[in-house]
Amino acid sequence: MPLFSSAFARRTVSLLFLGVLALLVIVAAAGWLSARTGAHTEEVIRARDLRMATGMIQTALLDAETGQRGYLLTGENRYLEPYTAALPAIREGLATLGRFYLQPDRPDERLVQLKTAIDGKLSELAETVDLAKTGRRDEALALVRTDRGKATMDRIRTILDGLIAEAEGRVSRRLADLDQASQLLLWVSGLGALLIVLFAGGAAWVVVQYTAQLVAARQELQLANASLEERVAERTTSLTRANEEIQRFAYIVSHDLRSPLVNIMGFTSELEVGAEVLKRYLEGDAMQADKAKVAAIEEIPEAIRFIRASTGRMDTLINAILKLSREGRRELNPEPIDLVKLFAATAASVQHQLDEADATLTVPDKAPIIVSDRLALEQVVGNVVDNAVKYLARDRPGRIAIAVNSSPGRIGIAISDNGRGIAEQDRERIFELFRRAGTQDRPGEGIGLAHVRALARRLGGDISVRSELGRGSTFQIDLPARLRPGESHSHSKVTT
Amino acid sequence: MNAYPVSIVMIEDDEGHARLIERNIRRAGVNNLITSFRNGTDGLNYLLGADGSGQESASRSMLILLDLNLPDMTGVDILTKVKANRHTRRSPVIILTTTDDEREIKRCYDLGANVYITKPVNYESFANAIQQLGLFLSVMQVPTTD
Repeated sequence: MPLFSSAFARRTVSLLFLGVLALLVIVAAAGWLSARTGAHTEEVIRARDLRMATGMIQTALLDAETGQRGYLLTGENRYLEPYTAALPAIREGLATLGRFYLQPDRPDERLVQLKTAIDGKLSELAETVDLAKTGRRDEALALVRTDRGKATMDRIRTILDGLIAEAEGRVSRRLADLDQASQLLLWVSGLGALLIVLFAGGAAWVVVQYTAQLVAARQELQLANASLEERVAERTTSLTRANEEIQRFAYIVSHDLRSPLVNIMGFTSELEVGAEVLKRYLEGDAMQADKAKVAAIEEIPEAIRFIRASTGRMDTLINAILKLSREGRRELNPEPIDLVKLFAATAASVQHQLDEADATLTVPDKAPIIVSDRLALEQVVGNVVDNAVKYLARDRPGRIAIAVNSSPGRIGIAISDNGRGIAEQDRERIFELFRRAGTQDRPGEGIGLAHVRALARRLGGDISVRSELGRGSTFQIDLPARLRPGESHSHSKVTT
Repeated sequence: MNAYPVSIVMIEDDEGHARLIERNIRRAGVNNLITSFRNGTDGLNYLLGADGSGQESASRSMLILLDLNLPDMTGVDILTKVKANRHTRRSPVIILTTTDDEREIKRCYDLGANVYITKPVNYESFANAIQQLGLFLSVMQVPTTD
């Protein structure tokens, strides 16, 4: 997994981008809605002003009419005051209305009518007041009685009522619009907030996931590193051991093959010397008679005997090396093996020798199943048991015991005897090729244990010995409970 | 010559080698007694006695010919024991072996070996070396611990 995954980057960035987009939408919507709210508010204020202006005109007209009536009734100027005060208010009201309605492109019909009606009403009022001022009160009253003023007033009232109704309608509509806009703003903000929370949460989740993946990957890497170091150390140890074994092997082989060669060369020369003596004697040198006799009867046959023995020895050594080499190359076939049966078979094969030596061999009646190579395991156990029987102490009845001790993944086979034991300095040496320990009173080539160790190591295990000289030995064979095919340790192969 | 004639103790597992060495020593005109042993255990028993004290060698004047590769122990073990025992440590030890491993040669000299001879496959040089050794034996002085 790369340190910084592009998928991760894409996901985080796109989530952040969506969040920013949501914010922009909210800001735009809020801006648009507040602009709309401003417009609505303005409209409401205008409608209210309109309503006020209309009301003002109505009140002022009524004032003017009241003043006119009072003056007509009493003839006193005092009652005319409301009339005079109302006139500017009416003009102001009309001007205000005009500001709202008198738009050059779309003149309002009702305003024109209102203006005409108000003009009519004012002129009727002015006419009656003028008549009364000049003392013609009756004429003025007659004018009032014509109902011209009332009719005009009624029309004005109708128009004004219409305007008021319209203004109020506008106010309530605008208020409803305002309400709707603020509701919409609320929704948009809520939805936007929800989206931002979702995107932020998504981004956080992605980051958390990615971090968790990183942590897991790092842990895996650390584990792999640790086990890699372990494996390298293991391999290094086994390679070092293999190298030492090969050096030791080469040393032993060169020495042991050289010994018979020295003999062959030496006794060949001795043969020549003997032949020379014989030749001189046969040529008539009587001085050589005794020497010739010794040469013919002792020296020459002795030399031939040694040469023959040495070639035989070389042949044995070469065969032993070849055997080890073949064992090292043999394909291992792991299969489940019942150790109890294997021990029983081993015991049966040495029963004759045991009887002769008055010795006993005890085997366990319970043992775990091991997965290993049957032939190799038989040879390992058989060789060690053979040795135990071969090197028993003569002064006491032999006791040989096989025991199994297993730990998780490993199975140990301990073969102990009460035989003659192995001196401390020989405990490693006995596993070397052509080396033997103790009194040399038994036939043998010094191959068995070297072979056993090579096999045990090929099976993924090893063999070691604990011993007390004169008391007995315990050979501990340690093996994996399950030999995996192809796991065989190539270093124990003997290359020739 | 000493009051006690020098005896030659040869510890050599290979019978043929022992025979060849003996013949060539004799050919050089050395007539000292040669005692041969075929393995380390018997050789050590003779040199240090059954109890390992070396008392038996106190009055002996010996020269030891030692092979390094013995079936039951290494010649180095014998060399170490001989050089550690007060009765045998002054006896000259000549190592005769087939290996010419540098480290082993050094180790033997460190442990007190006096001469180290590699047995060559070439018999001429082998015989030559042994005969010269015989000449050397005829003039050398070997003390006893008494």
